[in-house]
Amino acid sequence: MPEITSASGTGAMPETAFAAEGAPMSDRSFSVLGVFETPDALMKAIPKVRAAKLGTVEAYTPYAIHGIEEALGLRKSPLGGMVLVMGIIGALTALGFQYWISAIDYPIITGGKGAGSWEAFIPIMFEVTVLFATFTAGLGMLHLLNKLPFFGHPVLSSKSIKGITRDRYVLAVEAEDEAFDSAGAAMALRAAGAIEVEALPAPDRSPFLTSDNILRALGGIFVACLVAGLAMYFATKWFPLLKPMANMQDQPRLNAQKPSSFFKDGHGMQQPVAGTVARGHLPTATGTQDEAASLVNPLPRTKEVFALGKKVYTNRCEVCHGAVGTGVGSLTAAYGAKPANLQAQQFLDYPDGKIYWAVVNGKNAMPSHAPYLSEQERWAVVHYVRALQRAQNAKDEDLKVATR
Amino acid sequence: MSPNKNTSNLPSSWLWGAVALGALGVLGTYASAGPERFWANWILWFVLLFTLGLGSLFIVALEHLVNAKWSVPVRRIPERLATLLIPAVPVGLIALAALPVLYPGTRPEAAHHPILAGKAFWLSLPFFSVRTVIALALCILGLWVLVGGSLRQDTTKDPAFNFKARKFAPAFMAIFALVITLVAFDWLSGLTPEWYSDIFGVYVFAGAFLSGLAATSLSVLHLQDEGRLEGVKGDHLYNLGGFLFAFTVFWSYIGFAQYMLMWYANLPDEVIWYKVRLQGAWRLITIALASLHFVLPFFALVTRDAKKDPRRLRRVAYLMLGAHTLDIYWLIFPILGASPRFSWPELSFALFFLGGILLWIRGAMQKGEDMPAGDPFLREGLEFRL
Amino acid sequence: MKLDAATSAGDIPEGLLEPALTVGKVTPGSLDDQVLAFPETKPPRRWYIALAITLTAALIGVVSIGYTFYLGIGAWGNTSPVFWAFDIINFVFWVGIGHAGTLISAILFLFRKRWRNAIARFAEAMTIFAVICAVIFPLIHVGRPWLAYWLFPYPNQRALWTNFRSPLLWDVFAVNTYFSVSLMFWYLGLIPDIASMRDRTTSKLRKLLYTVLAMGWRGAAAHWQHYEKAYLLLAGLATGLVLSVHSVVSFDFATSVVPGWHMTIFPPYFVAGAIFAGFAMVVMVLVVVRETMELKNLITDRHLDVMNKVILAMSCIMGYSYLMEGFTAWYSMNEYLHHGFMNIITGTYGWAGWVTISCNILIPQILWFKKARASYFWMILVAIGVTIGMWFERFVIIVISLHQDFLPSAWRIYKPTIVDFGVLLGTFGIFFTLVLLFARVLPVIATTEVKAILPDAQPSHHGDDHHA
Repeated sequence: MPEITSASGTGAMPETAFAAEGAPMSDRSFSVLGVFETPDALMKAIPKVRAAKLGTVEAYTPYAIHGIEEALGLRKSPLGGMVLVMGIIGALTALGFQYWISAIDYPIITGGKGAGSWEAFIPIMFEVTVLFATFTAGLGMLHLLNKLPFFGHPVLSSKSIKGITRDRYVLAVEAEDEAFDSAGAAMALRAAGAIEVEALPAPDRSPFLTSDNILRALGGIFVACLVAGLAMYFATKWFPLLKPMANMQDQPRLNAQKPSSFFKDGHGMQQPVAGTVARGHLPTATGTQDEAASLVNPLPRTKEVFALGKKVYTNRCEVCHGAVGTGVGSLTAAYGAKPANLQAQQFLDYPDGKIYWAVVNGKNAMPSHAPYLSEQERWAVVHYVRALQRAQNAKDEDLKVATR
Repeated sequence: MSPNKNTSNLPSSWLWGAVALGALGVLGTYASAGPERFWANWILWFVLLFTLGLGSLFIVALEHLVNAKWSVPVRRIPERLATLLIPAVPVGLIALAALPVLYPGTRPEAAHHPILAGKAFWLSLPFFSVRTVIALALCILGLWVLVGGSLRQDTTKDPAFNFKARKFAPAFMAIFALVITLVAFDWLSGLTPEWYSDIFGVYVFAGAFLSGLAATSLSVLHLQDEGRLEGVKGDHLYNLGGFLFAFTVFWSYIGFAQYMLMWYANLPDEVIWYKVRLQGAWRLITIALASLHFVLPFFALVTRDAKKDPRRLRRVAYLMLGAHTLDIYWLIFPILGASPRFSWPELSFALFFLGGILLWIRGAMQKGEDMPAGDPFLREGLEFRL
Repeated sequence: MKLDAATSAGDIPEGLLEPALTVGKVTPGSLDDQVLAFPETKPPRRWYIALAITLTAALIGVVSIGYTFYLGIGAWGNTSPVFWAFDIINFVFWVGIGHAGTLISAILFLFRKRWRNAIARFAEAMTIFAVICAVIFPLIHVGRPWLAYWLFPYPNQRALWTNFRSPLLWDVFAVNTYFSVSLMFWYLGLIPDIASMRDRTTSKLRKLLYTVLAMGWRGAAAHWQHYEKAYLLLAGLATGLVLSVHSVVSFDFATSVVPGWHMTIFPPYFVAGAIFAGFAMVVMVLVVVRETMELKNLITDRHLDVMNKVILAMSCIMGYSYLMEGFTAWYSMNEYLHHGFMNIITGTYGWAGWVTISCNILIPQILWFKKARASYFWMILVAIGVTIGMWFERFVIIVISLHQDFLPSAWRIYKPTIVDFGVLLGTFGIFFTLVLLFARVLPVIATTEVKAILPDAQPSHHGDDHHA
């Protein structure tokens, strides 16, 4: 009888023998269990029971017994090879995937490293190798080799199961074909030293949650992921306009030479609403320069105001009117217009308002400075021009003020 | 077991012949190939001798440290191999003459070098020599306590040695860490003293431990061929193979970590060391090193049965010793130039030192009993099963 | 030939013999009655009190995290130039705590250190809980945690791929793999124990639950054979994994050019530190467990002694690493490295540097004394010290290196906020809540594995006389 060949994998259950029978037969047992109290007793019994050649001999123990696999003649576990193969597949998958993404599909140089720099792929390669290998070891052992979960096995509902998972060592003779001699098996077990013997019916194959279904589900999930991934990848390649969740992609903005889609009139730059005034930029004094003559400089003559005025003058006026306002600036003669000499009598006689008006509106070749200067700066520069004029035409009492 | 062509069957006269022939070549090297080539070879063999001896001593100390029982029957082998530290002392002292030739830090101009000036004292010839002498002395101390004590126990059968060894082993580990780091930094990294890597000591340790393991496995297999070491079974071989496998991976891990971090950060003062080794013919040697030191032994030993298989274990052990030699060569020889030097001077040195080492080991293998007969755990070790 | 000379086992002197792995008479049956009974009994009052405390801490954490989501990362103290602070410190800390579990369950298994069997289950559970605590931090630190799935490389409508050259992505893979593998390792180990519980429980609900979880495990020899093989393979793989995970975590820092981060010794040094901190945590928890659950006969003084020795060894390795760090900072003659190292011992955060050195290197040296390894006071002191020290080590690495970078005008002192501390406290709460729940719901000791190493558990002369 080929004992050795059928003893691995399913926990020694020849499925074909029972598939046709349907319900377990009451008059004939599927297997007979013999209970032993010590591992030594179990190990001594194994060769005796196997020698009787009544059926497949299997043991049920609370923990792994050393050397029992040789005693039972079990084949070596193929798990090591499976894990090695899957580990190598994992390594190659990770390397290939990373290389394809980083060097082919999405080649971006980061950190000055070449697109296909293998050094950076090693850590993930290692992790994926371990991931593939462990899942093969764990799930392969559980579902593929041990065919668990399986809730219909008769041992699970036997009287002996409480001992099996606690402190009893059970030897089972299991049917290989219909000519199973359960009485003989019981006798053989007793003869080998079993303290108790129990006959069991055939396995119940009805529970839905089985290793096969779990493996099918896992396979289905894997295939679904693969299909979804590929579909997504090609969908975005072939239909680039497909953008179900592009919350950072739509950013309305003005393109040169194109109407803006953001505003109704198509202009990107909008006119301010009528009547609004920018803060600190009061509109110019309306009317003519003469009308502005009556305006009074609102700023006090303080150090800060003069400092501000000086800054404005240096930045905006000095280039034409010169450092002291004599109209001799750093412009060359190529510049046609002749800047005004602010030290001329005409300007000495100007009221503050007229100078202010000129700063704001410009005069002759001089452009308006209103866009760049706040109200404060305009009046501050008027103070400063006044100071320049007074410095160039100093009187004796001014000196007294200075020395005091 | 088939005693295939192995060294234990070589007549001693051949080995003496090899030493004599090698000695001629060694002298010829000094005369015609120049002192730099001569000393580079000399340091290569000093480091090989030293790592082999110290790596074997580490195996012995590790057993005492973790109270391992399985390795008691084979402990005498690494103990005997550790005696290679005795010839390493004169070889190392002679190597001190290489300092001004090959080690820029020992030259007077180092005092004006922008980087070396600050550590000129550390690199200077006197301090370098003192460190080397201290390192060698500490090794001999460890050898005296661990190996000498064990040999004496053969006759005394006094378990007091086990107490002493267990007490001494942790202290030896500290000594070991210090010594291997000093030797790594001084003799290997000191060839390019501007370069630094704080993992370098661990890298050299991994290589040393591997070479010790490989030599131990090989000697065990040879003694078994001669019918000695009765009682040492496949289970013991499995453990030796397992350690070889694990530390092959460890060496690669350390080597890759050092390389990857330097490659990634791309700092000029670090990558220059690798740049030299990744150009031209050195690139091929680097690839060969990675293949021979990692890929090949990894796949050769990955399965459970392979670790028990004496034939495969023997081949991998030879391979590991060769790869370790290549590793040290790869660490030292790039200072001689962009093209790897390998011709008659290297062969003569190999003949001279290999012959000498084999003669020494052959002598050492007669020292004491083949197993530590006085160790109370010997029986437990022999009964070891996986 | 020389076998006659070998002394018999009886000659081994008292001091060299190792104490037994269990104290008193322990049989497979008594083991089940002792260990598997816990989930069947009502928890004592002090368990509820402990649970209330840990749940409060966890709640504080949840509130702090909620506030972070509400306000944004600004709720923390992170600011230029210290953009990484408590979040990554806690992440590294918790991932590290997990490593002890894998070391005990995998590496010691490969070395056939059988004392591991009694503590492996608990240590593995702690691994899983610690990794759960750890993954919180990258998630909340991304700022928009609801988009965290962007970390995975999947084909998407943005036509983008992840950057495989970024160590942070390596982290994603490493930590996820680590969690999956630890979970699988733990669950596979639990299956036979759950089967035992299934067959002894009288409650219908528990029976159903355990039946499903045990997957119909029936202890067949053919199953055990594959099971043992799978366990061995998983142990080997987990050993490589445990080295890789904290190495990858260290790459987050070491691949940069920041002085104090860019060090080649970082990968093994991080792994050693992780095992160090994890063992301290395991010792701390196991002392409480063996006292309160009366498991002194299974978790013996020998277990604690050996674990304390491991802590001592790891402390010495850490000392070597610190020494090399200082030596290289000097040897490199690089002023940035030098400055970075001096910052650790004399800078603004010099106190943190010294807390690290004292807690990790100086205090554990007490374990050289056998008395200290047997004394709860000293071992708890060391364990707490190591936990604090290892947290501060990460603080030193991260904050000290960042707060003074290459641009002196950007230097700034980092100050954590109360929210930072709230999140940290919260993870401790979550961790210990899970530990407490685990201790009541599942067997805290791998009964199957302990059964296998009891005296007379294995046939006396296997492999000799049964080749029929």
